Amino acid sequence: MSSSTGSAGLIARVAALAVVVVFFQIGVVSEVPVFGINVDLSPLLVAFVGLLCGSMLGAVAGFAVGLLVDLALLQTLGLTSLIFTLIGYWSGRLRELRDPQAALTPLLVGAAAAAVSLVGYSLMEFLLGVDAPVSFELLRQIVLGVVVNTVVAVPMYAIVRRVLIGALPEDPRRRRRRRAYTTGGLSPLSRA
Amino acid sequence: MYDKTVRRRRIVLALLVVLSLLLLTAYFGEAHGGRLHGVQRAFLTVVSPIQDGANKALKPVRDLFGWVGDTFNAKGQRNELRKQVAQLRRELVAGQAEKRTDQQLAGLFHLNQLGVSAYHPVAATVVGKSPNIWYSVVTIDKGSPDGVRVNDPVVNGEGLVGKVVAVEADGAQVDLLTDSTMGVSARIGTSNATGIVQPKVGDPNTLLLQYLPANTRANKGEYVVTSGTVASPDDSLYPPGLVIGQVTSENEESAYKSVNVRPAANLHNLDVVEVLTAPAHGAASNLKSLIATLPAGQSPSTTASGEALASTGAGG
Repeated sequence: MSSSTGSAGLIARVAALAVVVVFFQIGVVSEVPVFGINVDLSPLLVAFVGLLCGSMLGAVAGFAVGLLVDLALLQTLGLTSLIFTLIGYWSGRLRELRDPQAALTPLLVGAAAAAVSLVGYSLMEFLLGVDAPVSFELLRQIVLGVVVNTVVAVPMYAIVRRVLIGALPEDPRRRRRRRAYTTGGLSPLSRA
Repeated sequence: MYDKTVRRRRIVLALLVVLSLLLLTAYFGEAHGGRLHGVQRAFLTVVSPIQDGANKALKPVRDLFGWVGDTFNAKGQRNELRKQVAQLRRELVAGQAEKRTDQQLAGLFHLNQLGVSAYHPVAATVVGKSPNIWYSVVTIDKGSPDGVRVNDPVVNGEGLVGKVVAVEADGAQVDLLTDSTMGVSARIGTSNATGIVQPKVGDPNTLLLQYLPANTRANKGEYVVTSGTVASPDDSLYPPGLVIGQVTSENEESAYKSVNVRPAANLHNLDVVEVLTAPAHGAASNLKSLIATLPAGQSPSTTASGEALASTGAGG
């Protein structure tokens, strides 16, 4: 499979995933509050696309998902796109700079994405002139929202990874790391 | 090669951010009938049937999640409902006597013409709902061909839900009571003092009935109902007497009193609603004609009396 075919396949999978997740969010998830909070899968999707595919695709996916959400829900056009673009780019850069492999990575990235999304929305709304005081209830909603979205982050990451894994290009650093272990170069067992 | 990749990545990010800011600025600056709003409405028209289909197809999944949640809450709700049943029985006995009196008054002033059925309710299915706390909006599947228009009140079996803010051929957008732009003129059931019901920011389960006179008494559990007017520049009318919610607590304030109100309608779980499509002017003209029928010497000035009369009707 050529490189261009591979990236086209990846983009198609990300696009299909985005459409399914946004409609599932609107049709089902938004109707089922957990502890009075509605889970928001969209920022999690964007963050995990960035984490798996890199900053460029993460940012583009963030912009597209944000635009889709704003269009479908008649929200202020460009607001969600801006926040999700930054989330997708940031999570992609995290992968490119640190390449975190810990099991807790999806949890922490999900929590951060939810926090950025919720706080970002609030800040932008205040900047756009919504006449509302900063109340304890608002802070409580944000904290609860981050907690609930963090719980959902792990299964969401598993789903996104499962859908995208077949189309992901193999990372040269991971390939080198795997080869080093399998050929005995860095394996602790080889020194024994 | 590396420099090229870095440059391309930064250019893409900058482009996307600039594009988002341009969209945001243009959208926020244009009128409601502007080009971007038009694109949004066109998109809604295209995806509305898909949303409708997906909504129906995914209802079993939603019900399953809802069933799990409901099971956890069932015991607490049962105990609360038993208490409410006992209280309602007591209120029913007292209410029946009051009802006879109210019916006589309503018949005297012909206020039964202002009942909800006079507003031509149109049943609609909720096909979309915003997930975040800043956009308390839902999308319904009835639009302009069904007679739905902007500012039409929206109710369900439990009480007032919100009002229509945008209408298309295939659907309409409804701002819920918890949206920051909402303001409904209301009063506490046993009192004649009116105030404005607005959302409590950041708490989607609570409303605030504000600007009540400082000496107003509000007991926990008392019903808050529409008084007949809304606090918007259009000055359109809600039918008087629609249940908005129940008083949960009072707030200590100096000049005005405000009370916390729990919405009667479960805004998290809206499936079917009714849009009251009769023109607001029709209701206003009803009021004017009723005012005209008052005996000489009792005919008050138009606007204030219209609201006062609507408030009287709410009591009925």
